Parts: sequence; structure tokens; C-alpha cells
Amino acid sequence: MDELALIASAQRGDLDAFNTLVLAYQDTLFNTALRILGDEDQAADATQDAFLSAFRGINSFRGGSFKAWLLRTVTNACYDELRRRKRRPTTPLEPNTGDGDEMDSPRWLADPSLTPEQQNEADELEHAIQHCLENLPVEFRTVVVMADIQGLDYVEVAGAMRVPLGTIKSRLARARLRLRECLQGFWELLPASFRLREETNA
Amino acid sequence: MNFRDVELLSAYLDGQLSPSDSARLESRLASDPQLRAVMDDLRSARGLLRKLPQRRAPRNFTLTPKMAGLKAPEPRAYPTLRFATALATLLLVVTFAVNGLTPLATRSLAAAPAPAYGMGGGGGCDNCGGGAPETAPQESPAATLAPFAAMAPTETPGPVTSLAVPTQAADLTQPTAEANAKSLPPESGNGQPPQVRNEAPIPFTWQIALIVIILVCGATAWFVRFNNERKIRKQWDKK
Repeated sequence: MDELALIASAQRGDLDAFNTLVLAYQDTLFNTALRILGDEDQAADATQDAFLSAFRGINSFRGGSFKAWLLRTVTNACYDELRRRKRRPTTPLEPNTGDGDEMDSPRWLADPSLTPEQQNEADELEHAIQHCLENLPVEFRTVVVMADIQGLDYVEVAGAMRVPLGTIKSRLARARLRLRECLQGFWELLPASFRLREETNA
Repeated sequence: MNFRDVELLSAYLDGQLSPSDSARLESRLASDPQLRAVMDDLRSARGLLRKLPQRRAPRNFTLTPKMAGLKAPEPRAYPTLRFATALATLLLVVTFAVNGLTPLATRSLAAAPAPAYGMGGGGGCDNCGGGAPETAPQESPAATLAPFAAMAPTETPGPVTSLAVPTQAADLTQPTAEANAKSLPPESGNGQPPQVRNEAPIPFTWQIALIVIILVCGATAWFVRFNNERKIRKQWDKK
């Protein structure tokens, strides 16, 4: 069954149709939440909340990109989670230091296709990127996650975040610049191509 | 080099510039190494983000009907049974109201000269002498309810005794019922039988019947809905 038909069924209250959409988009929503929140459990909670509010508000979907509409619900759920976190600050289980010395490599990040050394490097690089993402103001982070990680175009991001297109362009440029600066701190983790270009530029 | 240039470079990388803006930027890039360096920086950051591996969801986030707040659809018979229960309850209340108010209304009309606080059923009229003939014209409300009494003649002593009417009233019940069935012959105007009928215009059996209807319909409605919900939940759980 195609997506539009499933959405139409879900809008009539068909939970099975909605759950088919959930299965199709749960990885996308979970990844978005994970990159915004940086914590797997909180990302899972935000994803569940997002799907729940998406089902309840599915009649407000009036066409366009369903993925962008769902991403809006998950970013809203993430903002709620961040507000809760602000009210009840918790100590992170994984040390998150500026120099990255004590960064853990959680088991759930493991990719079985890589050798242990490659896996270790990939984990560390991923962790470094996540660390830099979390250093961005949340509205910059959301734009960069939607555009660069989820591959939405500017119009979709603007629609999902309900901000003008110019703001998206500006935030994205600023976020990329800040990420580049932050990643300088993880020089040894960056891929060779990245380093070579940096050496050429220097 | 200003932030406007950074924005242009970022949009250029995403293919979001118009062809004329792109051409203009490309000619600047060819002649400006600093601009090129910034573009490389932005491209690197963008490339790293785009290469981030997509994680699989740690579990399925499908919603259960309970989470979604869905209710099992009502069984077809449920609204009918609910309506029947409500209607029977309403009728029961009406019977109580009629049975309670009619004697009062009758007494206030019939025993106008007698003291208003003459409680105890028709007892107030037993002492007032002229009251009896005056009650005869008050037959009409009771007469309209005559079939009720005729349908359940043996039950009439119930409400009568409960209203503390002397035992002779019970003895009079049978002729009263017969009299009602014969559309009120003239001898019914002797004063006492009409008073007996006025005490309970709607017989007690009707109230019992209504209570039985309420209990049966209410219990069936509850059972039908409970059973239906259990069945639906089982189906949902299987999925």
C-alpha cells in the first residue's frame, strides 16, 4: 500500500495503517532524536512520544512531505525532553570531556563490517561529531540534523521548523562553520582526506 | 570575506543557488584562495555529517490501541439495551411520582373542608361525613387507570395496606376491580372503593416489572460490552 493511502487510512483512525508508517519511519525519527539529544534512552522516549502525538494529530497533516511533518513532531518531542533535562539536570553516564580523552564507545554503535581498529576509529569519530553537534545551539543543531543527516531540502526544513527559508540558509551556514571549528579539536580522528585538505589550506 | 559569503558557499554546496549566483561565485572562487579554503571547510563538515551512520531503532515504536487511546467499537445491541434501561428507569420514576402525587392531589380536592393535615390515606374522609359523596366525581383519574387494577386485582392490597388503610379496604378490592372492569357502575359512587383506587393508580406489579426490565437490560448491556471489549482486546493483542 502506498504512503498516501496509509496516511488516509490512519486519518480515519486505522491504527494498523499508522503502525505500517511507524515501521517505515522509526529509524529516521530515532536517528534524528539521537543526534539532537545525544542519549539513546531519551531519544527512544522522544521517538515514542513523537509517534503518539503524530497519531493523535494526523488529521492536521495536509499533504506535502510526510517525513518532514514527522520530523517536526520528533523535534518538538526533543525540545520537550531538553526542557525536562534543564529542569532536572542529570549526570551523564558517559564522560563527555572537551578533549575527548574519556569518550566511551558504546556497544550499540558497533558496525560488524569493520575490523576492531576501524570500528574503534569510527566510533570515536562519530562520538566526536556528536559532541560537536551537542555544542551547537539547539535550533542550529536541528537544522543541521534535518538537512545534512536526514537529507531534507531547504524548503522541507523551513516547513518542518516553521521558519523562513533565509533563516534556514543562515543557520545551516553558521552550524557548518561552528562544527568545522569544533572538529579541529579531534584532528587525529578525522579521515585522511579531511586532514590533507586542511594541510593544503594551511 | 563576510558571513554573507559563508551563506552563499553553504547554499552553493547544497545546489540552492540560482545559476547566475552560482556562476558569479564560481568565478570568485577561481580567483580567491581564502574563499576556496572556507568552502573546503564547509564541505568537509557537511561531508562528515552526511557520512554519519544511520542507527537502527533499538525497538519497534508501533502503538498499541491502549497507547493510542482507542476504544473497542460498541456492540450493535448495546445502544438499544442502554436506551431500554434508561427508558424503564424513567418510567419507574414516573410511576413513583404518579403514585405519590395522585393521592395528595385527590385528597386536597376531595377533602377541601377537612383539615389539610389529615394524613393516613382516606382516613381523613372517614370522619368528614359529607366528604364521601364529594369524592365520587373525583373518580375520573382513577377510572382512566382502571385497566391497571383490573390486570392485577390481587396485587392491590399491597399498596393499600402500606398506606395504612383499614383491613376492610382489602375486602373491597375485589368488587372494586370488577366495578372498574364494568366501566364504573353507579354503585361505585358509594365513597369508599374510589378512595382505595386513588391510593395506587399504578399497580405495584408494574413497578416490579419495570425494575426487572432495568436489571435485565442493564446487566445484559454491561455483559455485552464487557464481552465485546475482551474479544477485541484479544484480537489486538494477537496482532
